[in-house]
Amino acid sequence: MIRKNRKSIAATLATATCSLLGNSIPEPVQAQEEPGWDFNTALLYYVEGDDRVDDLSLNVLARKTFLDDRSLSLGFAFDTLSGATPVGAVPFDSVQTLTRASGRSTYSVPADAIPLDATFWDTRYAIHANWQQPLGRLYSIDTGLSASFEYDYTHIGANFKLSRDFNKRNTTASIGLAFASDDMDPEGGAPVPLAPMLDVGDQSNKTGDESKDVIDVVLGVTQVISRNMLVQLSYSFSDSSGYLTDPYKILTVVDPVTGDPVPRVLAPGAEGPSHEYRFESRPDSRTKHSFYAQTKYYMSGKVLDASYRFMTDDWGIDSHTVDLRYRWPVGENKYFEPHLRFYSQSEADFYRISLVDGVPLPSYASADYRLGDFDALTVGLKYGWTLASGNEMSARIELYKQDGDAPQDQLIGNQLTREMYPDLDAIIAQFSYRFGR
Amino acid sequence: MGSPCELLTDADDEQLAGQLLDIVSAEAWRVEDKFSRYLPGNIVAQINNSDGDTIKVDDEVADLLDFAATLHQLSDGLFDITSGVLGKLWRFDGSDNIPDANEVNSMLAHVGWEKLCWKRPQLTLAPGMQIDFGGLGKEYAVDRAAVLVAAKTETRCLVNYGGDLVATGGSARATGWRVGIEVPEDESARAGHLIRLARGGLATSGDARRYVLRNGVRYGHILNPTTGWPIEGTPRSVTVAADTCTQAGMLATLAMLNGAAAEAFLDEQEVRYWCLR
Repeated sequence: MIRKNRKSIAATLATATCSLLGNSIPEPVQAQEEPGWDFNTALLYYVEGDDRVDDLSLNVLARKTFLDDRSLSLGFAFDTLSGATPVGAVPFDSVQTLTRASGRSTYSVPADAIPLDATFWDTRYAIHANWQQPLGRLYSIDTGLSASFEYDYTHIGANFKLSRDFNKRNTTASIGLAFASDDMDPEGGAPVPLAPMLDVGDQSNKTGDESKDVIDVVLGVTQVISRNMLVQLSYSFSDSSGYLTDPYKILTVVDPVTGDPVPRVLAPGAEGPSHEYRFESRPDSRTKHSFYAQTKYYMSGKVLDASYRFMTDDWGIDSHTVDLRYRWPVGENKYFEPHLRFYSQSEADFYRISLVDGVPLPSYASADYRLGDFDALTVGLKYGWTLASGNEMSARIELYKQDGDAPQDQLIGNQLTREMYPDLDAIIAQFSYRFGR
Repeated sequence: MGSPCELLTDADDEQLAGQLLDIVSAEAWRVEDKFSRYLPGNIVAQINNSDGDTIKVDDEVADLLDFAATLHQLSDGLFDITSGVLGKLWRFDGSDNIPDANEVNSMLAHVGWEKLCWKRPQLTLAPGMQIDFGGLGKEYAVDRAAVLVAAKTETRCLVNYGGDLVATGGSARATGWRVGIEVPEDESARAGHLIRLARGGLATSGDARRYVLRNGVRYGHILNPTTGWPIEGTPRSVTVAADTCTQAGMLATLAMLNGAAAEAFLDEQEVRYWCLR
């Protein structure tokens, strides 16, 4: 047992070590136990122009890393959405009245305005759990479950990924599989595709619940090119089947000469739509192929992250995405990260501005602006900093601008003089905080 | 050093990385050659074969002997670089072989810092006595390497000799190196602690694989040089963080020498430590 003057031992030892090593007083040790959990939290606010959608979203990602590179991550997200989105009907120079999705009342759209659906409010909860671990020396697996809940939509999913390192760990190849099963219970029931919008109280155009399944397969390879450069290539295949129609989207039935909505005759005392509208109809399957290339290039502290994605599907949509980020350190613990993203897509084969009265109905038709021909640009800037505690904060602001064109060959009469495609501007603001416990 | 010696560096310049490696390996071999008790002809061999003659040592050896003297005093005689000869009697091989008490007592005649004569720069050992820098040589070598590396570059480096390590360079806020402390005997290494070391030294004392078991009593390999018998109640391992690897290693060793009171000792020193029992 060491007894006397125990408290001075460390100090005497420090002095003795100093003279042994013959150097000046060493800088103080900085060692701390790695936190058991790493938390990444983010608060995101997304707001669209013209009083359309706003979404406040809270995300928490908790990750525990164990000594031998096994890790568990748990995610939780809570979203509260409110606002209105374009419903698919064309704008017109007088007031339009439409039946709400619930079938219990109507709402009116002012003259010359792009018809938006009745204001909605929704909350969404999402959770996921993933487990990652090495398998032997060269393989690793990542497997997880996910689920999300909205009042009219439930998603459950499972994913699995197997990776293998080659070539002295300079190459990693992976195969990923994911399966999702989604159930929809839309307000008022899922509409029968292309059924007409009916009077308040008449639900004969609706069925009950619907569902869809999605299978994804991703084949990827990551290659270290040099000390400063990393390249990732992947191909993904996605197959969706089931009810892929958006239950809240409609099309206007228009006059073949004027292009104006066809007025609807209301029975005396009845409450219902002022014009002829039909619910949209999409194929019950969709197959997508995506090709993705990404490179990260490190230049003395700065990192350029550039990626390109090409997607093509059997609905006739081709899209191109170019994403550029540049991480630019300022001093020791701060950085700026400008972000630029270009997106361009062609319209779906069944994208229609409107349905023409008197012409046989097509099998599939949708006026959802997200299936139209549009380009989008995102410009953003992120500023991040590390606190003395080692915790990290970042703030990000992004502007999103989407410009679309209605297909000219589909425009009829007065439609040529109106803005038929609803453009979209949005602002995204995010604050993130990362800490350990 | 009896263990793998490595240098980890953030250098993004291959030439610099090569130079740092050369510096570290040259210094490791220099310290090994000079202070290993297993090599013939070095200063330690000369001292241990001096047969009562006085040996004049150079400044570096003298500094280490001064340091050993300080530790001997700080530990009330429990840290003793002359205790190595006791190791000839004890075989910590997991068996139940413990030495004969008479043998231990007669060997104790050759143990004890107070029995030698150290008048810098002259050292005289009684015949039959030996010294062994094994208890501090590795930590010293790590710190020596760190001093040379820090003089060459401000880039973050980690010098690691078999788990005794020191981090140099980088900014005060730079992300640390992740260092895992294994649980002895736990082959899967899934428990233990994960430490982020940004700067300074980290050293571990304890080797749970070295023990003897007799009549249900487990004798760890840390010997009490005043009795010749193992210290009782030592933790399986003690890891300490300190400004230098040498300080960390010595505090870990002193904690071990405190046996069952290891944690209490470390608490009093107000250092960060991780004990496994």
